[in-house]
Amino acid sequence: MPTGYSANDLVLLLPEIVLTTGLLVVLVADLFTGRSRQHWLGWLTIGVLVATAVPIVALSGHATTAARGLLAVDGFGAFFKLLFVLAAAITVLISRQYLEVEQARPGEYYFLVLCATLGMMVMAAGIDLITLFIGLETMAVSFYVLTGFLRPNRRSNEAAIKYFVLGAFSLGILLYGMSLVYGLSGTTRLREVAVALATQSDSLALKLAVVLVAAGMAFKIAAVPFHMWAPDVYEGAPTPITAFLSVGSKAASFAMLLRLLLEGLPAMAPEWRGLFYVLAVLSMTVGNIAAITQGNVKRMLAYSSIAHAGYILIGIVTATPRGVTAMLVYLMIYAFMQMGAFGVLALLRRRDVVGDELKDLSGLFFRRPLAAFAMLVFMLSLGGIPPTAGFMGKFWLFSAAIEAGYVWLAVIGVLNSAISLYYYVRVVVFMWMREELESASVHPSPGVAVALTVAVAATIIIGVYPAPLFELAEASAKTLGMAPRVLSLR
Amino acid sequence: MEGWLPIVIMIACGVGLGVVGTALSQLVGPRSPTPEKGAPYECGVPPVGDARERQSVKFYLVAMIFLLFDIEVAFLYPWAMALRDLGWVGFFQILVFFGLLLTGYIYVWRKGVLDWGSQEGL
Amino acid sequence: MNNAAHFPLLSLILFTPLAGAILLLFVNKRSENAIRWIANIFAAAGFLASLPLWFWYDTKSPAWQFVEKLPWIPSIGAQYFLGVDGFSVLLILLTTMMGVIAVLSSWTAITTRVKEYYVFLLVLQTGMIGAFVSLDFLLFFLFWEVMLVPMYFLIGIWGSDRRLYSAIKFFLYTLAGSVVMLLGILAIYFSYHTMTGVWTFDVTEFQRFNLDRNLQWWVFLAFFLGFAIKVPMFPFHTWLPDAHTDAPTAGSVILAAVLLKMGTYGFIRFSLPILPDASREFVPMIAVLSIIGIVYGALVAMAQRDWKRLVAYSSVSHMALVMLGMFALNPAGLKGSIIQQLNHGISTGALFLIVGIVYERRHTRMISEYTGLSSVMPVYAAVFMFMMLSSIGLPGLNGFVGEFLILQGVFVVSKAWAAVAATGIVLGAAYMLWLYQRTMFGTVENPKNEKLPDLNLREVATFVPLMIMALWIGLYPKPFLDFLDTSVGAVVARVSPQYSGQAVTKQADCPENVAVNKFVLAGCETPAAAPAAPPPPGNVQPAPGSTPPPATPLKTTGGQ
Repeated sequence: MPTGYSANDLVLLLPEIVLTTGLLVVLVADLFTGRSRQHWLGWLTIGVLVATAVPIVALSGHATTAARGLLAVDGFGAFFKLLFVLAAAITVLISRQYLEVEQARPGEYYFLVLCATLGMMVMAAGIDLITLFIGLETMAVSFYVLTGFLRPNRRSNEAAIKYFVLGAFSLGILLYGMSLVYGLSGTTRLREVAVALATQSDSLALKLAVVLVAAGMAFKIAAVPFHMWAPDVYEGAPTPITAFLSVGSKAASFAMLLRLLLEGLPAMAPEWRGLFYVLAVLSMTVGNIAAITQGNVKRMLAYSSIAHAGYILIGIVTATPRGVTAMLVYLMIYAFMQMGAFGVLALLRRRDVVGDELKDLSGLFFRRPLAAFAMLVFMLSLGGIPPTAGFMGKFWLFSAAIEAGYVWLAVIGVLNSAISLYYYVRVVVFMWMREELESASVHPSPGVAVALTVAVAATIIIGVYPAPLFELAEASAKTLGMAPRVLSLR
Repeated sequence: MEGWLPIVIMIACGVGLGVVGTALSQLVGPRSPTPEKGAPYECGVPPVGDARERQSVKFYLVAMIFLLFDIEVAFLYPWAMALRDLGWVGFFQILVFFGLLLTGYIYVWRKGVLDWGSQEGL
Repeated sequence: MNNAAHFPLLSLILFTPLAGAILLLFVNKRSENAIRWIANIFAAAGFLASLPLWFWYDTKSPAWQFVEKLPWIPSIGAQYFLGVDGFSVLLILLTTMMGVIAVLSSWTAITTRVKEYYVFLLVLQTGMIGAFVSLDFLLFFLFWEVMLVPMYFLIGIWGSDRRLYSAIKFFLYTLAGSVVMLLGILAIYFSYHTMTGVWTFDVTEFQRFNLDRNLQWWVFLAFFLGFAIKVPMFPFHTWLPDAHTDAPTAGSVILAAVLLKMGTYGFIRFSLPILPDASREFVPMIAVLSIIGIVYGALVAMAQRDWKRLVAYSSVSHMALVMLGMFALNPAGLKGSIIQQLNHGISTGALFLIVGIVYERRHTRMISEYTGLSSVMPVYAAVFMFMMLSSIGLPGLNGFVGEFLILQGVFVVSKAWAAVAATGIVLGAAYMLWLYQRTMFGTVENPKNEKLPDLNLREVATFVPLMIMALWIGLYPKPFLDFLDTSVGAVVARVSPQYSGQAVTKQADCPENVAVNKFVLAGCETPAAAPAAPPPPGNVQPAPGSTPPPATPLKTTGGQ
């Protein structure tokens, strides 16, 4: 049995340690600051996130494990951790103005955002069933609370309850699957699980375990048919949290799924490939078709995020290095465009206007041309129109599908992305071609302005010159333990 | 069979202590019964009534805090048993653990949960 | 590959309009005249920048010229790779010229949201030029899609009645086609890597590469969907009348003159040379669809009551003729097809301008609203007459040259196809002349038409270059045909080698193709005679435009 932690662990776990310390500082700072100086908490939180990013970047070149083999310290994890920190930072930036309008105390809010980020980081780095589960639980519990953060708001409460009940249910299913894996392999370490299960891939219990794990994770990534919670939760949660939920939680769940499947269950590749093929097709199609009929932009983006989960699942189906790279590229791009779109929506929230109905966007161009331009960029990017980043992401996913021989999956994917343009463009129609309903103007706070500028710039720059992101993602994907081995199984 | 003997003795002692205590108080103790004293739980809620009775949320808060801190303190016993094996690393780990506990305690305290009279923070 | 100028000329042409658009962003939206001036200046600058192509392009050299090559996304082998051949030079010149005209024609037509209008128009211009100069497939696709968004806005914001419907229809139709095309591109990309071990999107490499026949078939279908929707070929044409009708005048002009050429450009640049085997196999299908398009477009045009819709359907008919000529797959047909693309840009662009002028004055497009305009607007009637004759292919004007070459090329392949196509041309003359008769002749019956002002100087200025071009191509097409020698030669060498210098050695290919391809059969019967001495169709005297394609063997470097 390996003995205690070494001093080296302290270095390797520095991102998590910094973040944990930081979130405690934020929590305590909230208790000792007056109501008038609360806005400093937001900047303190940003400071914590920046401080977390530094060790992540510094450690990104490693390929080792820490904490007695519970956590991997590799490029794959670092890529996702950076993504989470980025998403959390944008969330914090777009939150302050929103919280002021909602008259909510921000203290625990920032703390919980950081807690969720910590959970995500563990999910991306964990290579042990229990560690992964604890990360998932940390993230999920934080989100349950955040979803219901607007206590006087019925929709927020309803969303929180729904999310909690269904989330707990899905975690139960996942845990059951994990326990079967543990029972069959005798270990919780994913890399040992892979070795132990290599010879018993035709065991029925193992197949059941794969199905249960897939179902549990499908809940988290909101893939059809496990998506029912998403629209209600997305609509009811505070808008910045919806953004964080749809980007951070989704990315973390995909990271965990990749760890589970490629590091732990490569022997079962044929089974989970087929499973996720079906889920991908269903998610893309159902998500897009349902999104067409929505009049509420947050619900529409919820369904669109279901569809995007479907696109990203293509990467899992292929399970090739190119597929994994495509997922990393897409998730990073998705973070920018989706967070940006929700950022614009958060901006529309005013004291008397919820701002998330399509008609609330009417004539936005005449009121705030820059916000309308930003939303245009995000919508086109979500739809995959060059020269925005979304196109480059889709390009990777579909090329991965074609390379791996899943031509029909790619065909379904591109046709779906053409369908999706219909509802994305409808948002543009409202913003640019409808008369404005009212003249009340929304003034973005500096935080929102910074967040939107970063998101727009990233969406366009990655769309025109994606080479650096591609190289980073390729290098990161390579470090995922078993990816090459799965390729050889094909 | 010999291995079980201490257990048998233990059970006998336990039962005996209870029996002796109860019997002695019945025989020796003074008595002045009131309805209040006769109730099954002297300082709890009335045992008969509507099941959906409203209670102060403070009860739940205190119960939760008690559970959390109790369980966390219970964690100290196994640590104490293994202290020698864990060494300095284990020592610092338990310090971190206490730090987290302390932060939680500060949070609870500043939120006014321990302050029974105030409504602040609920 | 060469770049004789050692100067990024193509990038200059490409980014001049974009620079104008970016500059416009910083101009106050209330100073509308300043915005108009800036837009006009940048459009004109773009045109001037493109003129050196005409003079410096070496028509004798088969190489790609003005090449620029920079790494773009090294990890997947995509490059910033620009270059032109004669075909793209002509289309670029058409684009920049129509750009000037479209921007100029909008001066008084657009009065709301002027700034955005010109920004979108200039961005569109960059997108179109980009598609014509890109030799990297991914870069091409990028520009190809970039065009959609500004065009969508042009129709959706400044269009007429059903603009939102038409805009989204245009957008989704063309998008659906192009995403499937993207899969085709990816299929080539991976296939090329499997065969050579190189990751590249280099079109010039693909054009030398022999793809697996079966794969070619699928990729051709994917490309076909993307390009045929853009052309648009029957039955994918339904977006076009709506988009044309509801677009603002400049939008219609650009749409007809340049955007539709994207489809035909795609076929000639990508489908034919990269997928030669599949192209041959698909000849019958495309020929039938084209012939249906020619006749159907003409008949439907005849039945229109909306002036602009009539011109739109005439576009369907004309572009079908372009497709038919192209898929004759011989030098005459291809050259005619390309010349006809230019003609269509000039004539139909002008016809949309003509509709736009009365629409701007009267705000109706109903043909029945207009009678006897020739007495009120004589200059206008004269310009319309000129452009109508150019559109219906009067000898001496540009339309004739293209139609003649196309028929010449098609005749070699199938006399029946040529006969039906000729009927379509006759129908085209009928609906155009009838339109002219209804609107220009007779007496002014509608009192609103009595005081219509004739063309002003600016409006005349928009027509003059088009009329000059129509006359030039009609009377002396040789310079234009010279531009096409090497590029058409390269395509023909790939797709029907029996027409090029290797005809003799490639004879062996013929018998096995007989079963699948009527055209190749025709090509085999008269391999040497076909390009040089086609049977004179009827008793038409070969006009200057019918300069036969060069008999000298064409270089078969396949785009080297």
